[in-house]
Amino acid sequence: MTDRPSILVPIRVLEGESVPEGVPELLANAHVVLLGYHVIPEQTAPGQAQMQFEERAKNRLDEYETIFEEAGATVERRLVFTHDGQKTIDRMTTEHDCLAVLVPNATGPVEDVLVAVRGAVGIDRLARVVAGLFAETDASVTLYHVAEPDETDEDVGTLLDGMVNRLEGLDMDASRIETRVEREQAALDAIVDVADAFDVVVMGETDPSLATFVFGMPADQVADRFLGPVLVVQREPAPNEGEMEMDD
Amino acid sequence: MTEQPVDVESAGENVAGETPVKEPEAVTDDATVHDDDVELERTIGLVGGLAIGIGTMIGAGIFVFPGLAAFNAGPAATLSFAIGGLIALLVALPTSELATAMPRSGGGYYFISRGMGTAYGSIVGLGLWLGLMFASAFYLVGLGHYASAVFAELGVGLPFSPVIGVGLLFGAALTALSIGGTENTAKIQNAVVGILLVVLTGFLSYGVLDAVGVFGGGTVPEQFFSRGYFPVLTTAALVFTSYLGFAQVATVAGEIKQPGRNLPLAMVGSVLIVTVFYVVTIFVATSAFGADRLGQYGETAMVEVARDFLGLPGAVAILGAGLLATFSSANASILSASRAVYALSRDALLPRKASEVNLRYGTPHIALLVAGGPILVLVATGQVELLAEVASFLHLIMYGLMCVALIVLRRRNPDWYSPSYQVPGYPVVPAIGALASFGLIAFMQRESIGIGIVVMIVSYLWYRYYAGDVTLKGDI
Repeated sequence: MTDRPSILVPIRVLEGESVPEGVPELLANAHVVLLGYHVIPEQTAPGQAQMQFEERAKNRLDEYETIFEEAGATVERRLVFTHDGQKTIDRMTTEHDCLAVLVPNATGPVEDVLVAVRGAVGIDRLARVVAGLFAETDASVTLYHVAEPDETDEDVGTLLDGMVNRLEGLDMDASRIETRVEREQAALDAIVDVADAFDVVVMGETDPSLATFVFGMPADQVADRFLGPVLVVQREPAPNEGEMEMDD
Repeated sequence: MTEQPVDVESAGENVAGETPVKEPEAVTDDATVHDDDVELERTIGLVGGLAIGIGTMIGAGIFVFPGLAAFNAGPAATLSFAIGGLIALLVALPTSELATAMPRSGGGYYFISRGMGTAYGSIVGLGLWLGLMFASAFYLVGLGHYASAVFAELGVGLPFSPVIGVGLLFGAALTALSIGGTENTAKIQNAVVGILLVVLTGFLSYGVLDAVGVFGGGTVPEQFFSRGYFPVLTTAALVFTSYLGFAQVATVAGEIKQPGRNLPLAMVGSVLIVTVFYVVTIFVATSAFGADRLGQYGETAMVEVARDFLGLPGAVAILGAGLLATFSSANASILSASRAVYALSRDALLPRKASEVNLRYGTPHIALLVAGGPILVLVATGQVELLAEVASFLHLIMYGLMCVALIVLRRRNPDWYSPSYQVPGYPVVPAIGALASFGLIAFMQRESIGIGIVVMIVSYLWYRYYAGDVTLKGDI
């Protein structure tokens, strides 16, 4: 049996966001880090919200924890009151060493998984998430790569074969793995277009750049446009990230 | 970094049967951790902390006081500001140590209640809350003066003085704005502070060059101690309100990232930065006009100084800066006042209801209203100097007691007390800090001292009546 990948499931627990249908089954083989968080405006001390809402939030989280456990996942949970939801999600990802963050959207039974393979970087973590979640299910997995203009078929073949090998090494049945290559389209649009036919998307987090600063992270954009759940595989944490962190 | 939190069995209950909220289990760089994995995220960085400190402080000292201070003390008002800055620094250092040992919301109130017990804590806590109201009212009256100067500049003749009316209007607007949950208040505060520092640096650089004769202006010849020595100290007591901002940093100590590093830097840094700005400002202002004329211009004397140097554009720039600065000071103080209410109700010294969060906006509407309402009453008095002095008085009591609390804690040295920053020159620095804080009070007007003492007595009686059974002191 493969290791259970830790997946962060962030839920805005007091704003009516709940665990969407199908998500507990999707993460049945995962170690779920259930993060209930509540974002408060800057003029409120987080402790103030805690005094008032802790009970209610805990009761909700109790329910969600049970739902995940009944589906078969192991669960760890946190409740955080914050001014900055993204900072909380990032911190939780690091502290719990989560391989991926789930953008929770409803889904039916998972039969088809789309795995966007971008490049060789981070491919190991991607494979661990996919194999961990789906090796023991009947879902078919499609490895999808959008090639750059200067990328040869040979390069793409090497990349995808490498991924297939890794998945096989993690006890994944190769007969359930398909590969698909797209050219002549922007990666993001291609993923969103093809995703419609799938139940869930697994993709990597890209490095922040000027474009991501303006338009948001590609993973977020996909999550906005694709109606199902998206698993965003996190970058390998840099060994000295703690010290490098700049203020503001 | 995980630090041991205060080892305190906060106990007892108040008249309404409420007990203090339990202390957290651990304090890390990023969060305050309660049992059962409930966490409070820390989201304010060093820049944010500095902006709170500087943003609160820079409004009064530069834009409201130069005329008044020069009138009282002559060119030696420069020295008054330097004395105020020195005392603030002497207190900011011990406060930094306490804050790194106990990075929780409530600032001075929290340190004193945990270090010296509930009675001192309630006097300081209620005093801090009321002190912030007096300070906000003072900033709003200053804002009113700047707004009426804008009317004058535009040539709009009003049959009445708009000072108090504008103060009231902005007081009400700020309270409503805070309750309505304005987004990104911290970012706006950072931007305002940045703009202010740029405008002031430009203006003061020009002013200094002018004052030393580079542009031929030269200093108006005047004796430095033109009013004698004693007014230097009374003026220091008056203008000390300019230095209250670093304590506001401590009221949000529970929300500062890497508190061990950022709290001392933000508090000491903001005091040092504003002291330099104040001293240079007063030097430039008194050099331009001499103390007598400056005094006649009153609360908006800086506008005339700017006009003298740079003509109408200068006057307009300083008017705009003055409006921004007094506005941001008042805003920061109202928000700190509501944090103080939270800290008090968390410890059952005020009804829990007082810090209830509004479901629709997520803001503490009751805390903001009980801060905003009395502020309007105080603004209506229009007494700039009295408001400033009472605010200073109540803060000075807290500052003095913080220094005492630090000495008490260091002597008893309980297990939980492990500050990551230690005040240099212990015990001399905190001892001088305490003496200087209490000493400065002696130079205030009798009315201010009287009002301050009444506030303290009422605070104590409230504690005896409402929360006599509550114990908050840390294990020492």
